Amino acid sequence: MMDAVALLWLPFLVALCLIGIHTYFGIQVLARNVIFVDLALAQIAALGATLAFMLGHPAQGAATYAYSLAFTLLAAFILAFTRAWSQRIPQEALIGVIYVVAAAAAILLIDRAPQGAEHLKQILTGNILTTGWHDLAVIVPLYLAIGILHWLLRARLAAQQGETWLWEFVFYASFGVVVTSSVALAGVLLVFSFLIMPAAVGVLFAATLPCQLAIGWIVGALASTAGLAASYAADLPTGAAMVCSFGAMLALAGVVKWLAGQSTADATGRIVPALRWCVVALMAGSAILVMAAPRADHPLLDSIEAVFPQARRIYFTRAESDTYLDAEKYAERYRREAEQLNERETRSRAEGETLDDLTVRRISSFIRSYTEMRRGEEFVKREVRARARERTRWMLGGLMLVVALAVAPGVLTRLVPAGSFRRSPPGGAA
Amino acid sequence: MSASGWATARASGAPCLRGMHRHEQGAGARGAPCLRAAYCAPGVLAILLAFAASAVAQEKLRILTTTTDLKSLAEAVGGDRVEVMSLVPPNLDPEEYQAKPQDVVRLKDARVVVRVGLDFDLWLDRLLTQATLTHADVRNLRRGGPGHVDASQAIAVLDQRGIAVGPSDGHAHASGNPHYWLDPKNAEIITGNILETLARIDPANGAYYEANRLAFLARLEAALADWSTALASLQGVPIVAYHNSWAYLARRFRLNFIGFIEQKPGVAASPARLAELIRIMGERKVPIIVRQPHEPDRAAAFLADKTGAAVVVLAGSVGALPAAQDYLSLFASNVAALSAALKAVPTR
Repeated sequence: MMDAVALLWLPFLVALCLIGIHTYFGIQVLARNVIFVDLALAQIAALGATLAFMLGHPAQGAATYAYSLAFTLLAAFILAFTRAWSQRIPQEALIGVIYVVAAAAAILLIDRAPQGAEHLKQILTGNILTTGWHDLAVIVPLYLAIGILHWLLRARLAAQQGETWLWEFVFYASFGVVVTSSVALAGVLLVFSFLIMPAAVGVLFAATLPCQLAIGWIVGALASTAGLAASYAADLPTGAAMVCSFGAMLALAGVVKWLAGQSTADATGRIVPALRWCVVALMAGSAILVMAAPRADHPLLDSIEAVFPQARRIYFTRAESDTYLDAEKYAERYRREAEQLNERETRSRAEGETLDDLTVRRISSFIRSYTEMRRGEEFVKREVRARARERTRWMLGGLMLVVALAVAPGVLTRLVPAGSFRRSPPGGAA
Repeated sequence: MSASGWATARASGAPCLRGMHRHEQGAGARGAPCLRAAYCAPGVLAILLAFAASAVAQEKLRILTTTTDLKSLAEAVGGDRVEVMSLVPPNLDPEEYQAKPQDVVRLKDARVVVRVGLDFDLWLDRLLTQATLTHADVRNLRRGGPGHVDASQAIAVLDQRGIAVGPSDGHAHASGNPHYWLDPKNAEIITGNILETLARIDPANGAYYEANRLAFLARLEAALADWSTALASLQGVPIVAYHNSWAYLARRFRLNFIGFIEQKPGVAASPARLAELIRIMGERKVPIIVRQPHEPDRAAAFLADKTGAAVVVLAGSVGALPAAQDYLSLFASNVAALSAALKAVPTR
């Protein structure tokens, strides 16, 4: 636990800073309906840096930053103009054009200077896990300055005021500066999540900017905490785990918003049938699939069997069960044998006697054989299961259909009319 | 495409170019008497002789390799009677190479193609198939063809795990670790594979190629002794690397790579993995983290910051660093970098 805290608290602080500024820009971006503008600005900044690198400037130098900034300002200039064209062409289309052209131009430049590839990758794929004090020292003053600038110019920069070209330019230019630094720290995917998802939740629940910001910041902080914790606990790449956590948070916010508009009875009355219909669709779909193609993949059955291996007993004969378990045991044994040989070879590189080429080849050959044998056992498992499903397709499918019918709201009551289970009154039959 | 056009087509590949220009100058010197005669003769004769000079230049056997390492080794065997070009320029990841239209033209003009194999340069098969559609002769360069050299033939392959069982076993290469050129001893097998094909395609120069190869291997053997001495102090010293590219180097020089930052290709390390690495590096007092120039530096720098280890950038291929200009200097520069890093690290 202490390890996790020691490792994650600085990335968490960086995430808070990024959420702080991006939620604000996100609300503006949603109001302007230019959702992917951050991708276009980050890509064009990367193009500028790649050009600088190709011209011989050092990757971290002032000249490279100047090129990057100049390209971003150029993009801001173009974006400020495109607002005026949006009557005829959606602004998102032009943003998409800027993105793909900048990306393609960067590839063309890299083709001429391959050593720039890693530099370009670093601009666009940050890793929030490896951020530290030096990053905070750069972004905190920068984001504060831009935040203050926007607060001072808030009346001019509001999305509704967009007729003035100059203020549009100031908005996109300052946003470009923010995005350029944040993408290098956290990567394109995570910055997009910071930008859109907390802002979307804020806009969903509040009408005024301060309330939207407050909600966005709280939701962003919670989602970041959940993402970082999940990333540590489940051994997942941090950026991707955080993006999924933000997505889950937005989905949850959508459900909460929907529930908030209705009474508890109404909500229950809608959710329960909806969930039941989901189960019906899943069961009926799986039933049809198993009856039509018993040898195909069956995600529902496979998931149930992965969690409860005993469930196979429902449709396996005793002989099939024995063969399946036998194959499973041997597959595991071959895996272990191959792994042991591998470990022996790996250890021998630095410890003890060096293995000669002949022994290494023999080990490789053994590992190949074990792997093929394991593959054979896996084939046996698949084949036994497929044959058992083929044999019992109607029973399995029928069983699932019965469950689907039982779960479907209102079906049972229609099939079995109300009162049919009641005892007949004496003499009623007459 | 003319001979010079073939040689200069990849202007961006600086290290390969130097070699090519040298060969061109050699060809020009042999063609010089013909040219002098052409200057004195009437115009028609001049044109004919110019064609003859061009033919002399084209006599060089054209070899295409997928990587710069194989290019360097093919040059060592072929000497000045071959013209070698690497399809992938230095410092570009050969596994992610995207072929270009000009590559088809280069294949058309080549008589031998040398590949890494072991699923490292699979894109070559698609390129060869594509080139065969327009240039029938290219079929000689396809797998099984007389001009196709799979340099991995007869290599003792390491890290042969998880094949055929699925991606969950964590190895991207079904046929084992493909970075086998990083064991200098494997140059014997690689150059042997190249020699076999060159001698079959161009039997007149077979003895010349064989002599070249033996001379190169003698130089390599002498250098190997020096490198082994220089790296003796690193034996058993625990090292962490960004990617598992160094299995063959480790086996040859008894280097102890105890962990890798990137466990699955292209997937960033998780916090749990980094925490585990920090713990292991602290416990085992790891002094060095190794990464290649094209690999991300942030994770390595982060670990170095947390543990006090030094990050050493090693060339995984010829041309990846300015000091690694050919196969011998690739090892010389890496050995120098590792030795310097170990000396710079305070006694732990």
